[in-house]
Amino acid sequence: MRGKMKALFLTLSLFALALTACSAGSGTDSGKVTLTWWDTMTTDGSVTAINNIISEYEKAHPNVKIKRTYVSSSDIKNKLLLGSIGNQGPDIVWIDSADHQTFAAAGILADISSEVKAWGQGDLYYDGPWSSTVYDGKNYGVPVGSNNLALFYNKDMFDQAGIKPPANWNELKEDAKLLTQKNVYGFAVSAVKTEEGTFQFLPFLLQAGSDIPDFDSQGTLDAVNLYDYMAKNNYMSREVITQKQSDTATQFAAGKVAMMVNGTWQIPFLQKEGKVNWGVVPLPEGKTGATVLGGENWAISAASKHKEAAFDVIRFANEPDRLKKLLQTNGRLPSRKDLLRDAFWQKDPQMKVFADAMEVAKARAYGPDYAGISEAIQTMLQQVLTGQTSPEQAVQTAADKIKPLAPNN
Amino acid sequence: MSDQSYSAAAPRTSKRLRNTAWTRYLFVLPVILFLLVFIIFPIVYNLILSFQNVTVYNFKGHHAFAGLASYVKTFKDPVFYTALGNSVLFTVLSLVFQFSIGFALALFFNRSFPGRGLMRSLMLLAWMLPVVITASVFQWMLNGDYGVVNYILQSLGIIHEPHSWLSENGTALLSTIVANIWVGIPFNMIILLSGLQGLPEQLYEAAKLDGAGKMLQFRHITLPLMRPTILILLMLGIINTFKVFDMIFIMTAGGPVNSSNVLPIYAYQLSFTKFQFSQGASVSMIMFAILTVLAVIYLRMSSKEEAA
Repeated sequence: MRGKMKALFLTLSLFALALTACSAGSGTDSGKVTLTWWDTMTTDGSVTAINNIISEYEKAHPNVKIKRTYVSSSDIKNKLLLGSIGNQGPDIVWIDSADHQTFAAAGILADISSEVKAWGQGDLYYDGPWSSTVYDGKNYGVPVGSNNLALFYNKDMFDQAGIKPPANWNELKEDAKLLTQKNVYGFAVSAVKTEEGTFQFLPFLLQAGSDIPDFDSQGTLDAVNLYDYMAKNNYMSREVITQKQSDTATQFAAGKVAMMVNGTWQIPFLQKEGKVNWGVVPLPEGKTGATVLGGENWAISAASKHKEAAFDVIRFANEPDRLKKLLQTNGRLPSRKDLLRDAFWQKDPQMKVFADAMEVAKARAYGPDYAGISEAIQTMLQQVLTGQTSPEQAVQTAADKIKPLAPNN
Repeated sequence: MSDQSYSAAAPRTSKRLRNTAWTRYLFVLPVILFLLVFIIFPIVYNLILSFQNVTVYNFKGHHAFAGLASYVKTFKDPVFYTALGNSVLFTVLSLVFQFSIGFALALFFNRSFPGRGLMRSLMLLAWMLPVVITASVFQWMLNGDYGVVNYILQSLGIIHEPHSWLSENGTALLSTIVANIWVGIPFNMIILLSGLQGLPEQLYEAAKLDGAGKMLQFRHITLPLMRPTILILLMLGIINTFKVFDMIFIMTAGGPVNSSNVLPIYAYQLSFTKFQFSQGASVSMIMFAILTVLAVIYLRMSSKEEAA
C-alpha cells in the first residue's frame, strides 16, 4: 500500500508540476519591471544590434529588464492572435508593415496616439511607412525601417546587347526581348502564391495608374497584360509562380536572369554571393513612377501592463544614432527623413536608388482585410501566368473578390 | 505488480478494498486529464468555433452563435470541392502506389541474401528525412528551368520541351503525389516486412508439400494472414495521407491557382492567412467527420476480425 500511494503521489505531483511549469514565467518582481520584446530578426548583425539597444537601455534604467524573444516571421501573426484571446502579448513587438492595420483592427495593438503626439517626432517620417501604423485615425505604432522595390540589372548583359536599363514599360518589354537568350530570361519577378507575389505586383498596378480601391480598371488590366506579355513570349520564366523573391535573387546572382524586381535587403546578398556585375535603377515607369514599401513597425500589445515603459523603450531605440546602427546591419532604409539624409544611404549609388524612392513609395495600408485582397491578386496572377484564364477574365474575378474588402476612398 | 496479486496478498478489510478501487481511478486520472486538456478541449473548442462567426475583427471579443453559416459558406465555395477532390485523389493514388511497391519490396527483403540488413536500413533513410528537405529537393528536381527531371527526360527523348512540373495546372498535384509516394514506400515496407516475418514457417512448408506454387501460397497463406497488418497499415495510411500539409505546402503551396490545394492547406489558408477562423474550423470539422467515419469502419472490420 505504502509504495503504491507513494507512486501515486509522485505521478500526480509530476503532473501538477508539468501543468504549473506552463504558466510560470510571467509576473513582475518587487519594484522591477520586466518588459517582453518580440521580433523576427535572424541575422547576426541585427540580433547584435537589438541586444545592444536592450542592454544600453537596461543600463540607463536599472529598474527595467527587457526579455527579447525571437519569433519566426511565419509564426508571429498566429502567436499574437492566439495570445490575445487570453489577453496575453509581448509589451513590445515588431510587426510587418503590411499586417499592421489588420492587427490594429483586431484590437491586439495598443492605441498610442497620445504618446506619439507627446513624442512629437511623427513629422520626421515619410508618409508611406507612417500610414501603415495608422488605423482609423489613431496611431498604433512607429516604423522601425523600410525597404522598397527597384530593378536590378546585369550590367554585362546590357553592355553586350548595347542597351541601357529601361526607363519605361516599352523599353522594359524591348530590353526583355533583346536580353532573352538560351538559358537566360530577360526579366523576372516573384509571383509566388504568398504576400511576396502581391508585393511585387503592386508597383506595376500603381505605375499603370490603378490602385486597390479602383481595382476594376484599365490600369489593372494593363499591369496584368505586362506580366502576360513577358510570360507568353518566354521573356520571363513561368516558374516565377513558384519563385520566392530570394529564389529570383539566386537566379539573378547566377546569371540566369538579366533583370529582376527585388528589394533593398538583397544588396548584402548580391554583394557577397553575386557572380555577376550588377546595378540598380528605379522601376520603369508606366503612366507614372511608383514602388511599394515593405518593412517593420514597432507596436505595443493592447494586453501590455507597462505601456508607458514600453513606449519609452521605443523612444530610446529611435534616437538617431542607435536606429542608424540597427538599420545598417539590417539592410533597411530609415523611414525618417532626417536619418535618410545620412551619408550611408546617400553615398552608395545602389542604396541611393532605394533611398530616393522613399519619397514616392506607397505602403500596403489597405485596411484590415488586406490578406483577402492579397490572396485575390495572387490567384489572379497565377491564373494568367499558367494560361488558365484570360487576363480580362482574371482581373474581373479578382475585382469582384476585392470590391467588398477594399477600403472605400 | 497486478491488482490480483495485491488483493490476494492483503485482502483484510473492506475499507482497504474500497481504497484500492479509488486508487485505481486516481492512477488513470493523469491520462484522463491529459486527454481532456490536449485532445478533447481543442476538438470541442474547434467545434464551437465552427458554429460562430469569428474573424480577425471579433477574435478578441464576444463570439456570437452563428449556426451553420460557416458550413454554408464552405459548401458554397468552389475551392472547397477542388480541395476535397484533390485530397481524395492525393490519398488514393499515394496509398495504392506506396502500398503495392512497399509490399513488393517487403516480399523481396523477406528472403535472406547478403547485404539485406544494410539495404533495408538504407531504404528507411527516405522515410527518416525531414519532409522539409524531401519537399525542397523534389521542388528543385522538378523545376522547369534547371531541374534534373527535365534534363533526364529530354536526354532520353521522352519529352522535347522542358516542362514546368510544379507551375502547370495539370502536373502540380501529380508531382506532389510522386514525392509523397517516394516518402511513404519505406514505411509501408517495414510494417509489412515485420508482419511477414511473424508468419509461421510451417504453413508454407505444408503448402509446399501439398504442391502449392508461389502464387497460390501468396494468395492463400500470406494475404489472409497479413490481413490485420494490411488493414491497420491502410487505415494509418489514409489518416496520415489525408492530412498531409507540409509536403504540398512546401512544393506548391496549393498552387498554381488551386490546382494542388488540399483540405488541410485550404483550412490553414482560411484560418491563418485570411483570418476566417470559423470557416477554417468548419473545414477542419468536415475533415474530422470524414476521418471519423473511416475510423469507425476500420474498428468494425477489425472487431469482426477478432471475433472470427
